[in-house]
Amino acid sequence: MWGSFFRMGFRILVRQRKYFLLNLVGLSIGIVAFVFIYLYVENALYYDRSWKNYPHIFRVNETYSTGGKEENMALTPYLLSNKLKDNFPGIIESTRLFFTDPSDKNDVSSVNFQGKMYDIPNLTIGDARIFKIFNYRFTEGNPDSCLLKPNSMVISVAMKQKIFGKNFALGEKLKTSIRTYTVTGVFDRKNRPSHLDFDAVISTNSLDKLEQKQLNTNWFWMNCYTYIELADSVDAGNLMRRINYLTDTAIGHYIKKQNFKIGGYIHLSLQPIQDIHFSQELLYDSHSNINITYLYIFIIVAFFILLMASINYVNFATARSLKRAREIGVRKVIGAFRKQLMVQFISESLIITFSAFILSLSLVELMIPAFNNLVNRQITLVDSLFSGSGLVFGFLLIAFMLLLALFSGSFPAFVISSLEPVEVLGGRGVVFKGKKPYSFTAIGLRKFLVVIQYFVAIGVITSTFIIFAQIHYVKNLPLGFVKKNIVVVNRPADTSFRGRVKGFVEALKSDSAIEQVATASNLPGYLIGKLLLRTGDSSSAHLQTMNGFFVGYHYFDVLKIPFVAGKDFSSFKKNDSTEYFILNQTAVKSLRLEHPLGSFLYTPSAKKGLVVGVVKDFKFSSLHQKVEPLVFVLSPHFVQYVVLRINPAKRHEALSHLQTVWGKFNKGYTLYYTFLDNKLDSLYRSDQKMLSLFSYFSLFVLLISALGLFGLSSFLIEQRTREISIRKVLGGSEKQIVLMLVKEYVALVLVAGILVSPVVYFFTKKWLSSFAYHIHLNVCYFVAGIGLVLLIAFVTVLLQALFMVRKRLAEALKYE
Amino acid sequence: MIETKQLKKVFRSSDIETVALAGINLRVEEGEFVSVMGPSGCGKTTLLNLLGMIDTATSGNYRFMGKDVFQLSEKQITRMRKQNIGFVFQNFNLIEELSILENIELPLIYQGVKKSERKKRVMEVIDRLEITHRKDLLPVQLSGGQQQRVAVARAIVTCPRLLLADEPTGNLDSMHGEEVMNILDELNKEGMTIVMVTHSHHDASYSRRIVHLFDGQIINENLNRI
Ligand SMILES: Nc1ncnc2c1ncn2[C@@H]1O[C@H](COP(=O)(O)OP(=O)(O)OP(=O)(O)O)[C@@H](O)[C@H]1O
Ligand SMILES: [Mg+2]
Repeated sequence: MWGSFFRMGFRILVRQRKYFLLNLVGLSIGIVAFVFIYLYVENALYYDRSWKNYPHIFRVNETYSTGGKEENMALTPYLLSNKLKDNFPGIIESTRLFFTDPSDKNDVSSVNFQGKMYDIPNLTIGDARIFKIFNYRFTEGNPDSCLLKPNSMVISVAMKQKIFGKNFALGEKLKTSIRTYTVTGVFDRKNRPSHLDFDAVISTNSLDKLEQKQLNTNWFWMNCYTYIELADSVDAGNLMRRINYLTDTAIGHYIKKQNFKIGGYIHLSLQPIQDIHFSQELLYDSHSNINITYLYIFIIVAFFILLMASINYVNFATARSLKRAREIGVRKVIGAFRKQLMVQFISESLIITFSAFILSLSLVELMIPAFNNLVNRQITLVDSLFSGSGLVFGFLLIAFMLLLALFSGSFPAFVISSLEPVEVLGGRGVVFKGKKPYSFTAIGLRKFLVVIQYFVAIGVITSTFIIFAQIHYVKNLPLGFVKKNIVVVNRPADTSFRGRVKGFVEALKSDSAIEQVATASNLPGYLIGKLLLRTGDSSSAHLQTMNGFFVGYHYFDVLKIPFVAGKDFSSFKKNDSTEYFILNQTAVKSLRLEHPLGSFLYTPSAKKGLVVGVVKDFKFSSLHQKVEPLVFVLSPHFVQYVVLRINPAKRHEALSHLQTVWGKFNKGYTLYYTFLDNKLDSLYRSDQKMLSLFSYFSLFVLLISALGLFGLSSFLIEQRTREISIRKVLGGSEKQIVLMLVKEYVALVLVAGILVSPVVYFFTKKWLSSFAYHIHLNVCYFVAGIGLVLLIAFVTVLLQALFMVRKRLAEALKYE
Repeated sequence: MIETKQLKKVFRSSDIETVALAGINLRVEEGEFVSVMGPSGCGKTTLLNLLGMIDTATSGNYRFMGKDVFQLSEKQITRMRKQNIGFVFQNFNLIEELSILENIELPLIYQGVKKSERKKRVMEVIDRLEITHRKDLLPVQLSGGQQQRVAVARAIVTCPRLLLADEPTGNLDSMHGEEVMNILDELNKEGMTIVMVTHSHHDASYSRRIVHLFDGQIINENLNRI
């Protein structure tokens, strides 16, 4: 029986191409969106779960408190790793990895191979045991010994391909401006989604001996991530207490020895490795971390998209079957059984869902590179869908398709075939048993389903508008300094640059295209040092941790930061006995200084500094945070960056002058520079990503709902052809009739808009509150969201209505 | 009022061609009452559709109230129809979603008649056709005869100058049929022009003139002697 019904199904679908295509496209879009979101979510949940012993791997985090203010960070001192391994037999392995900021490059981040330079996006320094815990598959070299020797470098497969192509990399030499490394291994990052995203690792033994010695004694130099692997029997909580006991004692000794006058403590904690990807509150944490709320929102959106696509599908099927009510009535009279009718509908439905399934998976496969690019992942369909937990998802997806086919096939079949033939054929319209006109309940149900669609569409679009507005606001907020036309040049890696810096700066100034030049170690949007200051020499004095900017002369001039009191550093000479400080307004407040100018502040090692000026508060970190206390320390010799303000009209000239001067002063070193406004924008990269994802969601949702409405209204209006014609004969003008048709849908959009607005308000308000500086929600965003959906609904229905109204009258009015 | 010359209507589908009307010459004067008779399928409904400008002729000439219909735009036709013509369809063509009252009121709404005036006029025809107590029901809840009377009521509520009626008594028993015919007669006496399709010689006897159609052609026109 099924065979012949499938053949008949194919014939019917070929004849009803419009219906078939509408369903196919609508359903496929829904599945494509759903699968993509699934892949993303699955990948995120799988982060750091691929390590062979992941339930026993932890990162050691640190709570650092001085001056009453606690700070949680992912960084720990270098020496911690060995201390832990040596003292606790329950720790099987421990390793450390240096913190690097991949967005802050200098010439060490690119390597020279046979005269060509290759940029390594994320280069770090790691311990010899790192691959014992993180068991990457090695395509070349030995993971256990690859980082033992000084000047060893291990690279990722992607890097290897970029530099060496198909050739082997093992033993090859890679040069940076200061060293030559030997490639000792190639690791494969495939199927290892992780917060670790280094492209190459240099052995810690490569650090110079003096630096290693300092690192091995200093408890307050937080620059490494420490990972430990515990034995199965070890209880993490208990271990933690013992570790803290050890470190408290060790730090106590250390402070005494260094003669620090410091209050406060360091507290260590263990974080399960698989939780890192979702952790948000730690300083210096991986920049690939995501907010788990986003994930929840994605999942909700995914289900809504699938729901909408399914609703459309069932809707189309029902609407279309109503058109066939009379035909079915006749079939029943001829002698078709209800079961046969059901089989007929279901086989049609199966053909459609199956085609949609194949089509959408092919589309996903085609679009996955673009998707990976967008979300910055390496996801493959085969690995995610046809292995492990993906197999379950694949199975569920197929089961869902079958269910959908069954439901959308049987629902109309059930409704229609349950009608009494005499009612369908009686020429009195389609009627339910209770003499209730069937079309009424059907219209009610369908209206409800349409409202759900609009609900989602308006919700997602309004949210997108709000996210967009906020990001626009953040990017354009007056920051209190000039961020345009500021070029930040990274210093070359060699230590002798110190001696050249003065000449370099003077040479830069010689071209009028460069307006002003300063040196600095800290800039807005870059990493910020922390400094502990107290207002007096005595231990009762007020203590405060502050953000510290170490800057040279002309800094305030370059960035045009205004002063509220005092003056800049230009009339002070750096000397050994006194430091010179400039505070921001918040720092003055938090130190409770009544007369800041001329007062002295003290560092933990009791060095004193004179406050020579107060600047107006400016926004020096991400706008997620409020302005914090900040102190500028005059340090003309501590140079990380050379900062230039250039004349925008002579931008090209300025940059080429920079290139020339760089070449003259730093032969053999690569010039790395960024524009400060770009760097600042990158602070909102994850927000930006959220925006682009949401824009895609909106597009999908809009497309699906427009398609749904198009199909549904075309069926509904088609069904009303006769009514429309009667109205025309009775004197209704085209305009009146089209308006009547459109009005109904407009009302539905408005209802949905009113229902969804509070929901959007609630969620976006929450999101906005994660910014210290944010827009205020007003009715405009909601009106705009509703307006856009309204416009789309209007156009879709209008086209249909116009087409239908123009149809020939006599045909429609014919006796049936 | 109506003047057709060699009006032809041919229906073409992919393989067959049906000549529904083969050159009709018909004149209907203002105030006339004309019956159209003929066997099933001879083209009566098609003729009414052409006269009511619901359908367009394949060839020929049609002047309505002195205007050449084929020269009129869609908009002008709609206006012409709205202002001058009322229809009673063979299959009633009531709107199923609207109540009886709303069905009858609809043409008045489209004519832009004020609400109070509409009410008055609708109640008048409803009274006249004895459907008052059913006015809030839906069309499906009425019998065929009752639906027919609603169709008549809707057609005459605007007091059109021309009434085109396709078997207005086809579903009625003789008593109710008689009533409808009396109403049509009255309206005609008040000045309404009527073209009515019927199979009943009795009904046709109300009219002044009978047009016999056969196979798309007028074979005989005779004046009723009163
Ligand atoms: N849309 C159409 N397509 C093809 N042929 C048509 C169409 N409408 C009518 N016809 C044909 O035109 C001829 C006249 O039809 P019409 O409906 O005018 O007949 P009638 O005289 O009203 O018959 P009845 O008394 O049964 O209502 C018929 O042969 C019919 O088959
Ligand atoms: Mg007929």
